[in-house]
Amino acid sequence: MNRILARKAQLKSLQLNSLLAAVVLMMLAGDVLAHGERAQLASMRMRTVHWFDTQVTPLNVKVGDIVTVTGKFVTSVWWPKHMPSIDDTVYLNIGVPGPTFLRLHSEVNGVPMMRSTSFPLGKVYEYKTVLRARIAGRYHVHPILNVKDAGSLVDKGTWLEVAENDSGEPFINEYTTLTGDTINLETYALGGVYFWHVVWIVMGIAYLLYWLIRRELFIPRFIRIRAMGDERANELLTKRDFIASSLFFTLTLALILGGYFWAEYKYPITIPLQTGKVDVPLIDVPVGDLVIEDAHASYELAGRSLTIRAKMTNNGEGPIRIAEFLTANIRFMNANVDAGEVVEGEEMVARDGLNASVDVIQPGQSVDVKLVASDALWEQYRMTGLIHDPDSRFAGLVFYYDDNGTRYYQEVGGAVLPDFF
Amino acid sequence: MSEAQPISETEAKARLLDLKSLGNPKAMKLYRRFDGILILVLFTFITLGIQIQFTLTAGDWDYWIDWRDRRWWPLVTPFTLLLFIGAFTYGIWQRLRLPIIATAVTTLLCLVSWLSRYLNFYEFTHFPMSFTFPSTYIGLGILLDCALAMTRSLIASAMIGGGLFGALVYPLNWSFMAPYKVPVELNGTLMSVADLMGYQYIRTTTPEYLRIIEESTLRTFGGSVTPLTAVFAGLCGIVIYAVFLWVGSWINGLDKYAKRII
Repeated sequence: MNRILARKAQLKSLQLNSLLAAVVLMMLAGDVLAHGERAQLASMRMRTVHWFDTQVTPLNVKVGDIVTVTGKFVTSVWWPKHMPSIDDTVYLNIGVPGPTFLRLHSEVNGVPMMRSTSFPLGKVYEYKTVLRARIAGRYHVHPILNVKDAGSLVDKGTWLEVAENDSGEPFINEYTTLTGDTINLETYALGGVYFWHVVWIVMGIAYLLYWLIRRELFIPRFIRIRAMGDERANELLTKRDFIASSLFFTLTLALILGGYFWAEYKYPITIPLQTGKVDVPLIDVPVGDLVIEDAHASYELAGRSLTIRAKMTNNGEGPIRIAEFLTANIRFMNANVDAGEVVEGEEMVARDGLNASVDVIQPGQSVDVKLVASDALWEQYRMTGLIHDPDSRFAGLVFYYDDNGTRYYQEVGGAVLPDFF
Repeated sequence: MSEAQPISETEAKARLLDLKSLGNPKAMKLYRRFDGILILVLFTFITLGIQIQFTLTAGDWDYWIDWRDRRWWPLVTPFTLLLFIGAFTYGIWQRLRLPIIATAVTTLLCLVSWLSRYLNFYEFTHFPMSFTFPSTYIGLGILLDCALAMTRSLIASAMIGGGLFGALVYPLNWSFMAPYKVPVELNGTLMSVADLMGYQYIRTTTPEYLRIIEESTLRTFGGSVTPLTAVFAGLCGIVIYAVFLWVGSWINGLDKYAKRII
């Protein structure tokens, strides 16, 4: 008896310990902070789209408030050959957890982006997306480009807090149709949807009940058919069955046609679903005077740094200051050059992450420059997987400033070799 | 579609005894209980089977209102439903003479789709029901089953029921889908209400280009896409239903292996 009691106490203790362990494990689990951007191949993030100047404003809103996401991106000329290109079909999207926001407007270079488009490589684009907060919560908002057959290319995220609205009223999304009706898309035409579904579910259940509520069902019918043989099996269907089936058939046809003509009468003006592609014109951007040639890089595994060596020539009339290197959405900033803004809520910024062997390039000067981009962000954003990529090359944007404080960018890319020691 | 197999004397006696048991109230009571279990098993299997199959094959065409076009949706959905229904109907008809499979499949699909849309799309991911409500195919199932019950012929039911099943997808759903095809304007672009909802209610991994809609050359028939698609879907319905009845007959014939094992 004592042994049984002791065993019971042991079991109880084990259960309590298991419960405690489960609670501790749940407490240790953090929020889901990423949307898969770290899972993409390092080279893919470096050589596809260079997002920059991303800004999400404001960062604290209430349900119903407007949020604007703006920024720019450059389509890389170093686009991997094994990946379908953005110059075929692409769609500007926004990475939020489902419809927690409404997308009211989106544009690239001033062209509305309800539809897909294509972006030639090596060009810069300005985008803007206007959202309206719909569900309260804390969200990581990412601009996204969905590239056909290649998947989503994600910019870094920005945290956004959405609080409940003061009124506590249900969210309304009103829109006026071209036929002049103002509708709430949240609940639009649901009355008809519910009505017709109830009608059809009742019809379906009634039909099934007619056939299933009978004295002889599966086993007895099976026995009779086996005894009667195939030729006489149809005798199991009675005249009553024929009449009931005819009535169901007629009623069903009448409901389908009646519903169709009623809808045609009520909504005489309808159009097919709309689809197609739009063209986006290119924009003029100031072209700087820096020329970068013969770029190649090495990646130091131990130091978590990328070292770029290139010949840089200043063809302008004023000095040039190298301020920043951007790759895979990570900004490596040169602390020796006092330039470059970091906006509120911006992530993936290494403020002292860039070391340039030559900070200032004088007019007419042509120098070999060594840029060292190093930070723990390489590790944090899984860029250390660079050596596992099938095409070991890198690309990124070098940002530089002239005398007047005007910012320019130049894409740099080339082969990258790992340095193991 | 099937050949009568010669039976042994013992088997004939057993069958006769089975037939006599139908006059025994105790045996009938037992049969009714077993029938109840069979209904439960059959309907559970149909529900799970059609839900998985429909999700994998028709999927987005039924999830979102901005996928239900006049060209592909009325073709894809009867195709995917009829292959499931055809394969099942043959066995149930041959062995039980019960014309219920099409109605059971479409009704159970409708019920489980509502459950899925409410829990997964509305409650869990916050999409409005007006954007993700399921389509209905119950009327088509009833027509197909009634055609079988009235003609008592699988071939005739394929011609009448299979044809109607394909042809009437659009008219059946138009009664509640028409409001979503009313035109609106956004940034100078003509869109339907469904297109507008597809744009506004964000789907991060479902970009606009992913929609397989309005892709064909039937537009050259003077723009009468909907009726032409209906006719084509009706013809496809006949063929697909007939083919999968044949598949059903093949599956039905596999019981000979079970008998050998026993």
